[in-house]
Amino acid sequence: MKIECIKEKLSEAVGKAEKIAGKNPTLPVLAGLYLKTEGNTLSIRATNLDLGVSTSVSAKVIEEGEAVVPAQILSQLLNSLPKEKNITISLEGQVVKVSTGSTEALIKTLPTEDFPIIPEIKDDEGFSMPAKDLVLGLRSVVYAAAQGSMKPELSSVCVAYEGNELVFAATDSFRLAEKRIKVKNIPHFAYILIPHKNASEMIRIFDSVDDDLSVSIKDNMAAFEGGGVYLTSRTVDGVFPDYKQIIPKETTSKAIVLKQDLATSLKTALIFSDAFNQLHLSLSPGKKMFEIESKNSSVGENTYALPATIEGEDLEINVNHKYFTDCFQSIPSDTINIKFNGQAKPIVLEGVGDKSFMYIVMPMNRS
Amino acid sequence: MDYSRLWQSVLTEIELAVSKANFTTWFKDTRIVKEVDGVIVLSVPNAFVKEWLVQKYHHTILKSLRAMDPNIHAVEYVVNKEESRRRENRDTGGMGMKELPLPEVIVNKDDNLNPRYTFETFVIGPFNELAHAAAQAVIKSPGLTYNPLFIYGSTGHGKTHLIQAVGNYTKTMNPGKKVFYMTSEKFGQDCMNALQNQKMSVFKEKYRKYDVLIMDDIQFFSDKQKFQEELFHLFNTLYDNNKQIIFSSDMHPHFIPGLEERLRSRFSAGMIVDIPPPDEESRVAILSAKAKSQGLNLPEDVINYLAHSLNGNIRDLEGVINTLVIQSQLKGREITITDARSFVKNNAKPKRSIAIKDIVKIVSDFYSIEEESIYEKTRRKEVIKPRQVIMYLLREDFNISYPSIGQKLGGRDHTTVIHSCEKIKVDIKEDPILSQEINQIRNLLAV
Repeated sequence: MKIECIKEKLSEAVGKAEKIAGKNPTLPVLAGLYLKTEGNTLSIRATNLDLGVSTSVSAKVIEEGEAVVPAQILSQLLNSLPKEKNITISLEGQVVKVSTGSTEALIKTLPTEDFPIIPEIKDDEGFSMPAKDLVLGLRSVVYAAAQGSMKPELSSVCVAYEGNELVFAATDSFRLAEKRIKVKNIPHFAYILIPHKNASEMIRIFDSVDDDLSVSIKDNMAAFEGGGVYLTSRTVDGVFPDYKQIIPKETTSKAIVLKQDLATSLKTALIFSDAFNQLHLSLSPGKKMFEIESKNSSVGENTYALPATIEGEDLEINVNHKYFTDCFQSIPSDTINIKFNGQAKPIVLEGVGDKSFMYIVMPMNRS
Repeated sequence: MDYSRLWQSVLTEIELAVSKANFTTWFKDTRIVKEVDGVIVLSVPNAFVKEWLVQKYHHTILKSLRAMDPNIHAVEYVVNKEESRRRENRDTGGMGMKELPLPEVIVNKDDNLNPRYTFETFVIGPFNELAHAAAQAVIKSPGLTYNPLFIYGSTGHGKTHLIQAVGNYTKTMNPGKKVFYMTSEKFGQDCMNALQNQKMSVFKEKYRKYDVLIMDDIQFFSDKQKFQEELFHLFNTLYDNNKQIIFSSDMHPHFIPGLEERLRSRFSAGMIVDIPPPDEESRVAILSAKAKSQGLNLPEDVINYLAHSLNGNIRDLEGVINTLVIQSQLKGREITITDARSFVKNNAKPKRSIAIKDIVKIVSDFYSIEEESIYEKTRRKEVIKPRQVIMYLLREDFNISYPSIGQKLGGRDHTTVIHSCEKIKVDIKEDPILSQEINQIRNLLAV
């Protein structure tokens, strides 16, 4: 194998695939990137057997062939190279030679024949959706998925199609995030559950893609293709909880605050937060006060009064700092509407004038 | 053919031929699902493994399989849906927090089956082995052997578990088959809605496309003529196309009141099996299985004691185990025989004790005769049978001695009582109507 291509392009493609390759004690070849010449392109593949990705770079193919190189090494090498424009990669026996005008590196290869095949999903009822929408939707909710749970459906992001909207939802049963994005009609699509780790990779990989992605779903696998990337992910076979039932319909007290103000005050509160990340919120509509208090017996304590519009009943409630702040990045508007339902009842956060994103979080019931 | 042994020997052979890394990566969690006309269907954990086995090891696998059994000529691969559900430890991120009241959704929307009901969790004992065997036969050749399969038994005897397990198992064995489970009430509701919205054709189509239709608690159709008519037509369509139909009910179709004769005869065309209450031996097995699944360690004497002193149905036994789990957690130690004793004393429904007078009343009401006639010296035929039934029940269910039964029922000799009990015992075996009557009386007594 011998090819020549633009270093910048190769670096980008390798960057996309590299994160997926990783240590696998039973099959060391999974730490590698599979390089193969295909027509006028160099195809780069990586997989962890849960997620598989294949990208391609246009290249001048001098000699056809294939090789597997350790992903980390290749990626580090490409990133460290001076601002060279062109790069040549060739396989020489058991090593791959990477050379630019000024440098030359030899990388030991891994056995090509052991590298897994990335399954191709053939779905007659495939459809397409804009990559931007998928990325935005996943990014808005993925952090709320359970990090490793007894319930696989909770450690995944649910992507569903409901009447011209793509609905993204994730919950770890303590908080729940939902994002709705208007799209063109998507026939034949009901819902899929994408494992949250895979969803995070998809956000990274498709972030720079502007095109539509064509999606195929079959046999607990989903494939997404677009922008020169082909990605297959396992999907979770299960049913996402019917969370619509638990969205509080009434509100007993409500606070409207500026997102920036709230973020700043929470940053301060974090300095004094205890091992449980507990924040104490007090609302007193009569005094027009919204206070955030954090206490740590070994550090000290802090109270922060926020300018806010407050309606409804007086309330003192505890929340988890982390769960509370996680959602700010996903709220598009500058002001946040926080709706309370009394003690031990879910709290709803949403942007003022924005119906696309909703976040529900349970308060803490520690005294 | 023993699939797991066959596959094990194939694996042993392949393990020798390939590297350890490849073997553990690609052959872990694979198994043979079934074999149809020499085609082996192999279940694999994900699409990566499927692709790899197809591309790289297909020949090796086929060759090894053929060496074991020359009749095998092809291998197919299916991705197993269940194995992707791996269990991990729960994170403690939400310490001190209550969970969102998310509804527990475990019912599959496509087929309405609850994946919790499987044969793995189904405890087989002498009381339900016939029903289990019939279910197995249905799985082997759905729509052909026993169609319809009609399972009846009192509440909490495992009817729903059994019929749902058939559905779940059929689904894993034949991924293409359309299985659907519903309660009769749901069917009725659907039918009503369709009638109101004038969408009967949609309703009819919906249920006709299934390969295996499971209908629970069919006794709800009693006296509901329109539903029965719809069920009748649906039944005929499915039956004529060799689709499997499974029913459950709390009594034998002949005794469901207000059931049309044409339906009744159709229910009887297949196989009708009864699930009686679990016997003591089975209760031991059920208690051990439930305790194990809850992670509760119960000593043998406790299990035996509970099985002996608790009479109830399986659902009651489950409840007992749940309570003991909490108790053991609270006390921070294993449950001992003393705990079990005090638990039974305080909570469990005591073994039935009932006044003889009440039994006489229930039985004579059942047979519509005068209560007093039981005690009289009459030998009228319509009185003799109920009297014998009473004696039989007193002896069998309440363990009262022959002389005292005789004495309480109008001062009869104990040999008369013995004769009556023996007679009913024999008659039950020969006369299904009598046995059904006695079951119904037992249900009345239990209330």
